[in-house]
Amino acid sequence: MKNILLKLGGLDRRIIFVIIGLSVLIPLLMPNLINFPVQTTKNTEIVFNEISKLKEDDKILICFAYGASTKPEIHPMAIALLNHLFTKGVSVYIMSLFPEGVQMSKDAILNIEKSNLFNLEYGIDYVMFDYKVGGEVVIKNLTTNFREVYKQDINKTSILDIPIMNSVNSIEDFDYVFDFSAGVPGNQEWVQYACDPKNIPLSSGCTSIMVTDAIPYVESGQIRGILAGMPGAAEYEQLVYNFLLQERNSGNSNINIDADILRGKATSRMSSQSLAHLFIVLFIILGNLSYYYIKRNQEF
Amino acid sequence: MFIESHILGAWFIVLMTLCIFSYLYGDNPFYRVAEHIFVGVSAGYIFVITFWDTIWPLLFGRLFPEYIDAGYELNFLYIVPFILGIFMLCRLVPSLSWLSRISIGYIVGMIAGLKFYVFLNSNILLQIKNSAVNLDASYFSIINQFVILFGVFSGLIYFFFSKEHKGTIGVISKIGIYFLMIKFGASFGYAVMGRISLLIGRFEELIAFSTKEYNYATLVILFLMVAILIYWSFKTPSLEQKNLKG
Repeated sequence: MKNILLKLGGLDRRIIFVIIGLSVLIPLLMPNLINFPVQTTKNTEIVFNEISKLKEDDKILICFAYGASTKPEIHPMAIALLNHLFTKGVSVYIMSLFPEGVQMSKDAILNIEKSNLFNLEYGIDYVMFDYKVGGEVVIKNLTTNFREVYKQDINKTSILDIPIMNSVNSIEDFDYVFDFSAGVPGNQEWVQYACDPKNIPLSSGCTSIMVTDAIPYVESGQIRGILAGMPGAAEYEQLVYNFLLQERNSGNSNINIDADILRGKATSRMSSQSLAHLFIVLFIILGNLSYYYIKRNQEF
Repeated sequence: MFIESHILGAWFIVLMTLCIFSYLYGDNPFYRVAEHIFVGVSAGYIFVITFWDTIWPLLFGRLFPEYIDAGYELNFLYIVPFILGIFMLCRLVPSLSWLSRISIGYIVGMIAGLKFYVFLNSNILLQIKNSAVNLDASYFSIINQFVILFGVFSGLIYFFFSKEHKGTIGVISKIGIYFLMIKFGASFGYAVMGRISLLIGRFEELIAFSTKEYNYATLVILFLMVAILIYWSFKTPSLEQKNLKG
């Protein structure tokens, strides 16, 4: 055993890459082979409960601040959130603080439209705005005069001609803000520049790497729950999936009764994620044991 | 024979993804080509987006509303940012580069002023307020809050350098190190999770593009790339061999 561990210390790193690659690839190729259960956590439940409290015609501002590189983690959250909001009949205002965020938001809306779950009308149920450069400066400006920052929507139509924009003048007119972020500007900027000073409830869905920096805001209630990376997306998808089934069965008029309700993508990706983590933990333990034995051999 | 654009796009996606993945084997020309394309495309994309979505409508739209319909009226105040922008570009001319300091000075001063209040409010005052222990909560919650309070206190003591870390202060600062290590461990765990998520995203696309619909893009490019890399690795002397010869 000791000799095996000593040999493992000199293992070619490319073999480790191949094993991690296979641990991700195999569950994706054979989804029924390994199935790890998804358990919801406190922070995801807070997000779900807060969004569930919104009433019909309440207004939510959603910021898409992520791009193609972080799409696998955040995009499933965005689709699940839009499903949740449209089921409740909440008015959705979409903006972007990342150049690729516009494309991500268009893709998310297209996904919702293709599902045929809702009869949505642009300009009445939702509106989209173009990318604005400036990060926190844009957020700060939104708190003073929303209509000055966004004079036109994404199609270059004046906001004066968009019915959903009639009662929106500043960020205080929104009942909720939701931020999808993969860097700066992200949830921290929303807390600092808009939601703390104006006392507007904020939730966030972010990449795994941002979670530890955002948790102090969540613990203090400055952010109401957080969807943490892919597991957060899978948990939220699970809650929204059950909610959609329940609402359709109870005859919610916002949902088309004939449409299929499908599970989101994050849930199916969690088997790969969990298996890869198991292997990484195993490699960390073996690596440490190997290091211990190599060091002990050198001492004697 | 015409190739549909989405199939061509899929082949390019697969090629770039596999080029980047090839770095796991070692530094090679495929990786370098993909890296340079990525940097060039990203810079070009940001430049174009910033110009057409920001400078054109927000600045020129206010200075020349008769020609650019961005929904704004004429506002002469915007000559100031226009001039500051030109000063910034003066960095390219050595004899006039000093002018750019005015623009940089404005940006630094403005951001510092903007950050000062919001950071003080959200990250210091509200965080201190929320570190206080609520004695009306459940026993478990009170213990949890005391642990957080002690973690904050010991972490701050670790960064207190005006007194030597000996005796009681030394013990508390050492406990602070453990709290910091737990934070770094959690950050590392989340970072690993994020990277695996990205790998899943790439693999999903590679699987999707390996079907007949996309003319087996993944399989064909993977086979060709592996064959070329094998040939290349035999033809190119390894680093050890180069060192021996040197």
